[in-house]
Amino acid sequence: MRIRLFYWLAACLALAPASGLAREMTKKAGFDWERTIVSVEINRKQYDYFQPWSKRVQTVVKTGIVIGPREILTTADSMDDRTLVRVQRGGRGKWSNADVKWIDFPANLAVVTSAEEQFWSGLKPVPLAEPVKKGQDIQVLRWRAGNLEVRKAEFNRFAVTHPNMSDAVHVQLELNSEINGVGWAEPAIAGNKVIGLVFAQSGNLLQVLPSPFIRSILDAQKKGHYKGLGYFDFTWQPAENPETLDYLKLTGEKRGAVVIDVPQKPGFESVVKPLDILLQVDGFDIDTQGDYVDPDYGHLLLENLSTRNKWAGDPVRLKIWRDGRAQDVVYRLPKAEDAARLVPEAPFDQEPEYLIAGGLVFQPLTKDFLRSWGQDWERRAPFRLAYFRNQDPKPERPAIVILSQVMPDLYNIGYQDSRQLVIEKVNGQKINYLADVQQALKKPVSGFQIFEFMKGDTLQRIVLDAATLDAATKRVLEHYGIDKDHFFAATGKSATAGRAGGLN
Amino acid sequence: MVAAGSVPGAEPERSVIQIMTFSQQPVWDAPWRFEPVRRSGGSGFVIKGKRIMTNAHVVSWGKEVVVRRYQDPRPYIARVKFIAHDCDLALLEVEDESFFNGLDPLRFGDLPKVRSTVITYGYPAGGEQISYTRGVVSRIELQTYVHSGNRSFLTVQTDAAINPGNSGGPVLQDDFVVGVAFQGAPGLENTGFFIPPPVIEHFLKDTEDGRYGGFPMAGVRLVPLQNPAYRGYLKLPDNNLGARVDSLLPIPATERLIQPDDVLLRVGKYEVGSDGTVVYEGNRVSASAAFQTAQRNEELPLRIWRQGKEIDVALPMNVYSGDRNVGNQYDVLPRYFVYAGLVFTPLSLDYMRTLGQGWRDGANAELTFELYYRRGESPQTTRPEPIVLCSTLAHPVNANFKITRHALVDKINGLRIDKMEDVVRAFESATNTHHIIEFAPNNAFETLNRADAVAMQAEILKTYGVPKDRRL
Repeated sequence: MRIRLFYWLAACLALAPASGLAREMTKKAGFDWERTIVSVEINRKQYDYFQPWSKRVQTVVKTGIVIGPREILTTADSMDDRTLVRVQRGGRGKWSNADVKWIDFPANLAVVTSAEEQFWSGLKPVPLAEPVKKGQDIQVLRWRAGNLEVRKAEFNRFAVTHPNMSDAVHVQLELNSEINGVGWAEPAIAGNKVIGLVFAQSGNLLQVLPSPFIRSILDAQKKGHYKGLGYFDFTWQPAENPETLDYLKLTGEKRGAVVIDVPQKPGFESVVKPLDILLQVDGFDIDTQGDYVDPDYGHLLLENLSTRNKWAGDPVRLKIWRDGRAQDVVYRLPKAEDAARLVPEAPFDQEPEYLIAGGLVFQPLTKDFLRSWGQDWERRAPFRLAYFRNQDPKPERPAIVILSQVMPDLYNIGYQDSRQLVIEKVNGQKINYLADVQQALKKPVSGFQIFEFMKGDTLQRIVLDAATLDAATKRVLEHYGIDKDHFFAATGKSATAGRAGGLN
Repeated sequence: MVAAGSVPGAEPERSVIQIMTFSQQPVWDAPWRFEPVRRSGGSGFVIKGKRIMTNAHVVSWGKEVVVRRYQDPRPYIARVKFIAHDCDLALLEVEDESFFNGLDPLRFGDLPKVRSTVITYGYPAGGEQISYTRGVVSRIELQTYVHSGNRSFLTVQTDAAINPGNSGGPVLQDDFVVGVAFQGAPGLENTGFFIPPPVIEHFLKDTEDGRYGGFPMAGVRLVPLQNPAYRGYLKLPDNNLGARVDSLLPIPATERLIQPDDVLLRVGKYEVGSDGTVVYEGNRVSASAAFQTAQRNEELPLRIWRQGKEIDVALPMNVYSGDRNVGNQYDVLPRYFVYAGLVFTPLSLDYMRTLGQGWRDGANAELTFELYYRRGESPQTTRPEPIVLCSTLAHPVNANFKITRHALVDKINGLRIDKMEDVVRAFESATNTHHIIEFAPNNAFETLNRADAVAMQAEILKTYGVPKDRRL
């Protein structure tokens, strides 16, 4: 997602649009958008997971909209690891210091405010619209070189997809537009209302967080009901093959979706079981494609019912077909942020963890690490590491630590080319988290540090001298200009343990 | 050395043969079908016993092999006597033995020295007549033989031009054959490769019992042992000798006699360096070259350092076929079973290529993992012959399937599918009203009405022109 910065900067270099025309168009819409759309600048630390001790500074300029007294709504994207946030009105002039008042990364939403009084003078909140209707005129707005750019967009569809910031799945609005370099919270408007915020772009396709989704979260948050986004942790498949429903002895009309996989959680039995047919979710009938008819959006994937005015921990009523009869069960939505993943997202607002021992660099395997191979990381990252994202955590392997590289030194000679190896044991002790490596290194075996890697076609074993390990680590740090031999999350254990270790 | 009757100094080009092959490969995702007939050209040369030596890839999948003599327009029909897909060599016989009249067999020489000059003879693309190129031996080491794709043998690199059509032609030095030209390196200039005498002799000796069995493998993954701490841990002197056994392939004799952390000090007559190499006739090459001196069913003497002591082991050497599906396969038609329009075939590299250039992409990650990684990581869950649903021949009986292709089959009617015969048995022994086909890894499944499937089987085969429902 961060690659979009390039497009934005490139867009800044382009010629400004005809400001007069823009003003006329926005006035025509019956609303003075120049007094509600602001720029939000985020200065943040950006990490190089190939050199986790190294920090770069990144500046991102996004769009925000005034939605209430001293409240600017924007997306949460690229607001982690922020060092300074500023806001600017009118697309030019003074930048005012700002604070993040509220942020929720899985929902990709943030509310920003500023203590500087004069910033708010003349700014006007805009209402978040009801769902956009087909045939409405839609525009996308943003400040560009001091002028408000207004570009036409066309309604494409509503889709339920995985928005890439967590396991939460929710409805998104897809628009088509000729505009370039958006995806940084630019408002899409219809009439005098905001219908959503653009959060991603692929060619002419814009992905938009729809206003009803945003408003439901902001309302719940204000009332203190918001507990984070939930998700369905089971896997289902469509039941378009009528033979499957016959096999499961469903009577009556062909309907429902078939549960095929339910995660095993120690000490917890799910109310949903494989081969259950989901007939209704939250009162909505499920068809054989796994869709329900949403009163606002029409046909949507049933997955959206995990985020449609429901939050983590909330009950969802399910009508299922099991053992030849319909049954009602209550399913509690697990929290998306707590989803057990073998390869988790790296925690937000946290430096990458690493440990250097004698030049061997150990890191937890996270999606952010894999994204170091670029936007096309799913193809370009080493296959075996990327494939772990398809695998579930298990008690014997709740998380993964890898030997990511070796900083060459006389101490580790012979192993300089070792990289991207999954560490299984150190000195006979099982390794799941980075902290395990540190603990195991304190107990060498007969004067040696013994590293064992995952069974497979790659290197299985490294043995190093225990007595000279610390001196070698010190020498490597000095030689390569690295400040610290490790960074662990403040929790004391690997930060990823909290996310991946719970098997919720 | 293979003695033969030619006289050095005669015109070797008279014994260099032009080969035309008309070949036809199967369609790996519709295994009853064949690709169009393809014509390709190569070279060969006469050796003793009225035989023509060439590359395996020149005659693979051959329906008809035509050979022509030097400056003789008459075509002769040849047939493959022995073919070695691992080391890319083949021996041909000619039906009309008069073909060999007046042709002197070429004689083999020794492994040429680096920097010495060699001449290639052959019929490369770009013309009809024999062509000669001259070059020096640039280096000698182990290279992957691209014909199999997953075997490496001793290879000589030369700057003599080796082009398509040269394949199978002799490389001569002082009128002795010192190699068989066989491959180039895309992207590199002035780089051609030929198969040297040790590999050729191994092939010829293997065939002496009337069949070709292949190069045996020890199944030992050898890694350098250069870190003084690891050498100290193994109580080994800190010198430049001995490479460490890191892991083993599942070969019974090897698993019985060799252990991880054994240090190989000597393989046959070759001392093993700490970087895993041996000095082979003056060239430092991978220790695999030493293992490859053994014939199948021979015992190879190894000197091993284990637990602070030297021990001698006689390792039985056998051909390993456990990784055949990750190499290119030839001359054996793919197995398949078609049931109710569902086409099942074994997972293989050849099948994966039918998915297009980006077949390693995320969409096929499950198949890639199953093919390449499961065997090494999880031998206890490895299937001897993983089976895929490779395509579905559309018919009302299967028309509502959402999973129609590129899916790894886990179970059918509750039976775990380890090989093609399991698929047949699971369908043919079923008695329930429905067939349940489960796919790995997420328990996704499809359901077939059994009575309909049985009733429609013949009709579907007829509609799609499938001559037989199976090839097992």
